[in-house]
Amino acid sequence: MSPQVDTLIRAAQRGDQDAFEQLVRTYDQSVLRLAMNLLRSPEDARDVYQEAFLRVYRNLHSFRFDCSFHTWLYRIVTNICLDQLRKRKVRKEETAVVETSEGPIDRMESYEEEAAEANPERSMWNRELKQRIESALVGLTPRERMVFELRHYQGLRLRNIGEMLGTTEEAAKNCLFRATQKMRGVLGDFI
Amino acid sequence: MSCDSVSKLIPLYFYGEVTPEEEDQVDQHVHECAACAAELEQQRAMAAAFDRRQAVIPPALLEECREDLMAAIAGGAPRQVKAVKGPWKLFLEAMSDTVAGFGRMRQPVGAVLLVLVGFLAARFTGVSGGSVSGVATNNAAMLSGSHIPVVREVKAEGDGTVRIQFDRREEVSGRLEDRNIRDLILAGSREGDPAVRVESVSLMKSHVDSSEFLDSLLNALTQDPNDGVRLKALDALKPMSGDSRVIKALSQVLLADTNPAVRMQAIDLMVTRHDDSLVGVLENVMQREDNSGVRSKASKILKDWNASIGTF
Repeated sequence: MSPQVDTLIRAAQRGDQDAFEQLVRTYDQSVLRLAMNLLRSPEDARDVYQEAFLRVYRNLHSFRFDCSFHTWLYRIVTNICLDQLRKRKVRKEETAVVETSEGPIDRMESYEEEAAEANPERSMWNRELKQRIESALVGLTPRERMVFELRHYQGLRLRNIGEMLGTTEEAAKNCLFRATQKMRGVLGDFI
Repeated sequence: MSCDSVSKLIPLYFYGEVTPEEEDQVDQHVHECAACAAELEQQRAMAAAFDRRQAVIPPALLEECREDLMAAIAGGAPRQVKAVKGPWKLFLEAMSDTVAGFGRMRQPVGAVLLVLVGFLAARFTGVSGGSVSGVATNNAAMLSGSHIPVVREVKAEGDGTVRIQFDRREEVSGRLEDRNIRDLILAGSREGDPAVRVESVSLMKSHVDSSEFLDSLLNALTQDPNDGVRLKALDALKPMSGDSRVIKALSQVLLADTNPAVRMQAIDLMVTRHDDSLVGVLENVMQREDNSGVRSKASKILKDWNASIGTF
């Protein structure tokens, strides 16, 4: 933990509101990105952001510096995201187009942009790849999805991921392996 | 090692999560086994496909989340669109607040009034360095002396100008040639908000030949904790890839940056031209790098340059 973050936490624990705001600003972009990547909905990502940092605010006094603040924060965030993913599994729904304050955006925007510029065959291939990727992700358990997300997109080490999810590095490794195998099963003949 | 064992290790090998011994075994095996080499290639292709699936965060979302959070902590309602208050209304509000608490706050109130008088005098008498909107501001005065502006948002406009929001409600727009705009962009590159840093750093690209922007970009590249900012700094430094200070910073990034994507781009930028003095750096990468993609890129360049990759 950097000395600067350490100082901010201690000041925030003493009730310094500005320090808490700075602490939030240090981490909130990656929290929002994680929530957006997992949930693909600005509204759900906003809910995760709000709930996570409110929990941090209410429980910061109990943070004892026995792990990094990043790990502690991500334990909270991943728990909230896992709950959301589990609820979705029950509802068996996941929207492709999401509404934002700037109008609807497709969660696979980068593919759409590329497809628009490419030839029809390439465009069809991209659409197919997009569908397969979504199917591959839907086939993962919430925990597998989380481990993959944290390792692939957030670049966290499996040791840290295990710590965040309250499990061992070995279990996180197994989870990543299972996730990859499942996704390869869906995408295998296509890439 | 059997194909079955290697197959189980391939995802972990790809993510750099195997022991050095396992890594050697997988390396050796895929070198000799076409089926496992193809499986590894498939893993890379799959990861590349997922790389392109990053969610797009609507630009205003982060700021809205922050406002909602602070409102909730303060016990208020969720964020609402704030009406823009004119300077006269602000002054009247300040006056009414001060009069209400005058009895027990005589001295502090006097100080507040003096500051207000000074503030208004400065606002209505100064010169302006750019076109200013919102609450009228003498930005030359704001940026002079010891005042360090808090940059809230930096946005490039289509006509080549930049619009910057700073401090509480000040806004200024102008071109990068404007001294005040440049100072605000430099301040933006040091802000706590990574989104502001990303935007500020991106804008420096068109004037990277200026020494202050170059210094700031090198600092962002080697010191910024945010991956996005470092990647933007790398992109902005492209026109200066032959500069000795840039090469030195890139070498540092290659050996110390925690993000493989940043290291990968640093290599790309570093080897835009053949330079024998970089061979040592790349050999060092081969020795220390734990990401197979970065290692493979460094190895390919060394081979292309007919340099040894096995001197360690």
